[in-house]
Amino acid sequence: MNAPPLSATAAYAAASCFHCGQPVPRGLRYRVVINGCEHALCCAGCAAVAQTIVDHGLTSYYSHRSALPAAEQIVPRALSELAAYSAPEVENALTREDGPDARIAALMLEGITCAACIWLIEQRLMRLAGVLGVDLNYATHRALVRWDPRRAKLADIIGAVAALGYRASPYDRARAENARSAERSSALWRLFVAGFGMMQVMMYLVPEYVTHGEMTPDIEQLMHIASLILTLPVMLYSAAPFYKGAWRDVRTRHLGMDVPVALGIVVAFAASAANTLHGSGPVYFDSITMFVFLLLAARYLELMARARCALTQEQLAEPGPAVAERLAAWPSSDLSELVASASLRAGDHLRVRPGATVPADGVIVDGASEIDERLLTGESRPLPKSVGDEVTGGSLSVDHAFVMRVTRVGAQTTRAAIQRLLEHAATVKPRLELSADRFARYFVQGLLVLAALTFAMWYAIDATRALWIAIAVLVVSCPCALSLATPAALAAATSALHGQGVLVANGDALENLARVTDFVFDKTGTLTTGTLRLARVMPLACGGRTSTPDECLAWAAALEASSEHPIARAITMAAQALQRSNASGIDNVAGSGIEGVIDGVRLRFGTPQFVAALHAAPLPAQIAEAEDDVTVVALGNAEGWIALFLLSDTVRPEAQAVVARLLHEGKRVHLLSGDRAQIVRHVAQAIGIAELRAAATPAAKLHYIRELQERGRVVAMIGDGVNDAAGLAAAHVSIAMAGGADIARSHSDVILHSGHLASLTAALDIARATLRVIRQNLVWALLYNAAAIPLAVCGYVTPLIAGAGMAASSMLVVANAARLMRRPSTMA
Amino acid sequence: MSSQNTYNYKVVRQFAVMTVVWGIVGMLVGVIIAAQLIWPDLNLAPWLSYGRLRPLHTNAVVFAFGGCGLFACSYYVVQRTSQVRLFSDALAAFTFWGWQLVIVLAAITLPLGYTTAKEYAELEWPVDILITLVWVAYAVVFFGTIAKRRVKHIYVANWFFGAFVLTIALLHVVNSAEIPVSFWKSYSAYAGVQDAMVQWWYGHNAVGFFLTAGFLGIMYYFIPKQAERPVYSYRLSVVHFWALIFTYMWAGPHHLQYTALPDWTQSLGMIFSLILLAPSWGGMINGVMTLSGAWHKLRTDPILKFLVTSLSFYGMSTFEGPMMSIKTVNALSHYTDWTIGHVHSGALGWVAMVTIGAIYYLIPRLFGRQEMHSVKLINLHFWVATIGVVLYIAAMWIAGVMQGLMWRAVNPDGTLTYTFAEVVKEMYPYYTVRLVGGLMFLSGMLIMAWNVWKTAAGQRAVDDAKIPDLALANA
Amino acid sequence: MDIVYLLVPLSVVLAFIIGGVFWWAVRRGQFEDLEGPAHRIIMDDDRPEQ
Repeated sequence: MNAPPLSATAAYAAASCFHCGQPVPRGLRYRVVINGCEHALCCAGCAAVAQTIVDHGLTSYYSHRSALPAAEQIVPRALSELAAYSAPEVENALTREDGPDARIAALMLEGITCAACIWLIEQRLMRLAGVLGVDLNYATHRALVRWDPRRAKLADIIGAVAALGYRASPYDRARAENARSAERSSALWRLFVAGFGMMQVMMYLVPEYVTHGEMTPDIEQLMHIASLILTLPVMLYSAAPFYKGAWRDVRTRHLGMDVPVALGIVVAFAASAANTLHGSGPVYFDSITMFVFLLLAARYLELMARARCALTQEQLAEPGPAVAERLAAWPSSDLSELVASASLRAGDHLRVRPGATVPADGVIVDGASEIDERLLTGESRPLPKSVGDEVTGGSLSVDHAFVMRVTRVGAQTTRAAIQRLLEHAATVKPRLELSADRFARYFVQGLLVLAALTFAMWYAIDATRALWIAIAVLVVSCPCALSLATPAALAAATSALHGQGVLVANGDALENLARVTDFVFDKTGTLTTGTLRLARVMPLACGGRTSTPDECLAWAAALEASSEHPIARAITMAAQALQRSNASGIDNVAGSGIEGVIDGVRLRFGTPQFVAALHAAPLPAQIAEAEDDVTVVALGNAEGWIALFLLSDTVRPEAQAVVARLLHEGKRVHLLSGDRAQIVRHVAQAIGIAELRAAATPAAKLHYIRELQERGRVVAMIGDGVNDAAGLAAAHVSIAMAGGADIARSHSDVILHSGHLASLTAALDIARATLRVIRQNLVWALLYNAAAIPLAVCGYVTPLIAGAGMAASSMLVVANAARLMRRPSTMA
Repeated sequence: MSSQNTYNYKVVRQFAVMTVVWGIVGMLVGVIIAAQLIWPDLNLAPWLSYGRLRPLHTNAVVFAFGGCGLFACSYYVVQRTSQVRLFSDALAAFTFWGWQLVIVLAAITLPLGYTTAKEYAELEWPVDILITLVWVAYAVVFFGTIAKRRVKHIYVANWFFGAFVLTIALLHVVNSAEIPVSFWKSYSAYAGVQDAMVQWWYGHNAVGFFLTAGFLGIMYYFIPKQAERPVYSYRLSVVHFWALIFTYMWAGPHHLQYTALPDWTQSLGMIFSLILLAPSWGGMINGVMTLSGAWHKLRTDPILKFLVTSLSFYGMSTFEGPMMSIKTVNALSHYTDWTIGHVHSGALGWVAMVTIGAIYYLIPRLFGRQEMHSVKLINLHFWVATIGVVLYIAAMWIAGVMQGLMWRAVNPDGTLTYTFAEVVKEMYPYYTVRLVGGLMFLSGMLIMAWNVWKTAAGQRAVDDAKIPDLALANA
Repeated sequence: MDIVYLLVPLSVVLAFIIGGVFWWAVRRGQFEDLEGPAHRIIMDDDRPEQ
């Protein structure tokens, strides 16, 4: 037989799908007609979605969208859950009553890629009979839906979303969001009150500065009283965080910047109020309000940047399954039903499939699997667990299905865990910030002493001026700029990185990233796209008969139907249009392949070695001829080889440019991979990496990195976040290429959730710029204080100038940091 | 079909058409008084004299042309962004007919010489009461529609419109407090310099909230819609709104620099005017940047040209304004034609252009057509109007600076170098250029009227437009 | 300058009213999603049917 040359050119590709942009497999005739124009579609799923969109008059989605739908198929999963949501008890558990004839549910939406998606979902739901209101948040991808339970059901709503190709899962809104949104809105409100108070008070008091005593005393008094009234809300409400902070600082004896701030404004306000009521003497309401406003503004900016970062993280970390597979009559029967996780009770038996998240805490009663608990414990390796071992809600079953008995209930297990993790990350201050804080503490102590001395000194010289000069000293040199310099820059950088599709989970990562000398790349999923696509099916003569490619594909798909392995995904995707066969007795042999029975014939699908063990026929010649970067998977039965499947993984288009840029900057770039040497060399050549190590086990990777580190190199490891756990943990900076559900599993310092390698160079640029800005800020803060304090002590600075100077210096620092946010996109 | 499944386009269309009509009337009067300044013989009769026509011109352009445009756009925007029909069709109709009556009354009483002599508030007390009634109805319709909206968020344009409606109500009531002595005569409730202060608190904020906030509402809806791109930064637009509210209220006294007003209030006005520059420019940049990535559309879309050019005039005049409030600049510019130029760069360049753009956007939709009868004519209108504005402003700028310099020129012995009449004589060429500019702008409006006529002719006007999702859900 | 005794208290009252409106807006979640509304109006198709 003359085998045609094997190459990665997809034999299945023709035009691209109108709906999702994926290649349309040859021979398929899915079509949709929009405004009289016919468009080709790649699969039955896309055809159904496109038809739904057309039927509901929502075609402007296609003209307005700026991104294609997610390639990952989420609809089957969404549809499988649908049945569970129709049960009344499930609906009751997941939604709440809102008035006599209305129910309300909070939904998390998956699969959203651009603003048009949101619009599509919103419009579809608003047109659904019985839906009373839809409130969709573009930023968080969450929706609040209100409907009339007599005319619609939760399942209708979720079904309507699924029919558009998205997945909606109910979640507990109250717990998840209220705390943060309350904090944000109160911060915003404080800022507004302070800003508004400042504007108004200025308006009343500025005339005094520009008129040089032309104003009559009665009008002056009127203005002072009006200022006093409008300063009150600022003092009592807006400035409250400073008092709290100061009180905490005093109690814990860790003096921070809140102490001089609180002291300064309270004393200044008391003295100004006394002067107003007394009808003589200076008032400084404008200084107070401006000071409070500018400080709050700086803090608000920082809070926003942090909140945005936390939100992304939470959004990307899946909330865990809303639905569980309950075995009602286990062990006598293994019939399963889908139920809402919220309705689980202790003692229920559940089946957990490979790749699924454990819905509740419990004990394994049948089967065994490796369990990934990284999310909960930070432990990076999956742990083997079997009958009798405890599993925790929110952890992940890696490779096998098992049955568990629930011991502790509550959807909160998962969410609480994610929450804990995120909160932990948010509370741990980066090194850079810690050292600035420490310095600020000593600085404040010195400052308080200085202010007291100044007061004493001036009391002796000119008692009427003593108080104001002391306040000026206190205010002018308050180390706000010093304390804000670093966190503001870090927050701005985090926010900028977020815009580039980069998530920073560890505050030290930026500092380390700027110092990295060696970048170690993993291959699969990092330099390559990591998703295998079926390139070709080669049927072989078996038992005197050669099957058609479609037959072979259908068998393979049947065997892989329940697997989450990348090869399985490629196969099922290619076989979508084909008639399904049913396989029984599936046995998944980790690392080798899968075995099962179809139509009474035992088949194996997996590595050629694995398949060969079934029939002992020699390896087909074609395997040796396969190109380096093609993965060959075989299908066979006891009689011999049935077919070879060629799958290929393509190099990311931007990889070469990114590597070239790193090399150009004098960095060393390494390629570490567990793959065969041939493949690795091939990829390295294509990208331009000279230093490579192929067929590396996790231990070998770890060793490689340690060795580099021992030679004094600063190492960043870039992997897909799941397979390279040990290496990632050892590197100075661990960077994961991850999207979707993987984020939850990965616990790297930096996550490139854009799925775009160019984000790496952007991150690098921003990291360097951040360190530069922090240095500038610190230098500025020190210079400013060095100049301002002596002047204030000598009495040359009024409280207004002090407040303005200090606030201006803080704002300057924050504004300098904000420059980081406006870095141009380096992405293509 | 239930009327609750549709938008009320009827009242929008009525106001939109009248915007064009009153635009022509107001600008025609403007052209006449511009000609009278060149040829005083044109003051043919008392009721055609400059002194009576000038308030008619301002009222017709600001309240008839601008007012109808604002009514049309705000009714359209509040319905489409709230996804509900107007709160009350009857009240909406009342606002239309009531407002037309106010305009007609103004067109009759002002030439007859009935005036309170308060700038921009010349109408006598019976008309003031009618205005109040119409305005209350407007507020009820507008906020009633907001209250029954089906979208949780209130779009930023509606915030601007809302602030405009409320503030104008407050300003009108406070400033028009007057004591009637006969049916067509009243006296202000305030005396002397107090009256001047209230009047300019009103005058300034009328500019701020009628001619700025209201038209910013138009800008924040129609620029994104016409460009088919979301506003550059929605966040910034919300900040823009609140910043404007914070600052605008207090910059009023700058209109009275070098008057009997105490010095400190004048300085205060100056400072706040300068602060105003920040939100104004923030808004302008936000509007212009909405086109980033779609600049090519400017080449082919004359409606977008109108909208974007209006923003550049907005930026220009909001820069010029604070500069002119600086006391040293004001010493030169006050009472000269520079002020007239400044006002027209705002009124023609910003207000009229953004209104024209929005009306061109609305007309086809209100008459069930895909676009205007002739896009080429819109383009022609754009160029005629732009050149007209530029001629106008340039002429007035030169004339104003010249006047200021000539008035203050003194001989070594301390006497004035020029008599007033000598200065007037120098103005002729510039006044002629101004007349040409004004004529051009007016002819642009005539082109527009023709285009609107051809667009509407033979079309069945859309009285009620389907609310998309409701129409389907309840079908 | 008696008018100041009207305008200044009026401004204090106005300040509190504007504050109240802002408070209402924050409470009603008007500032929660500051991206969506911009897109939402673009997606609203107001062209007459052909």
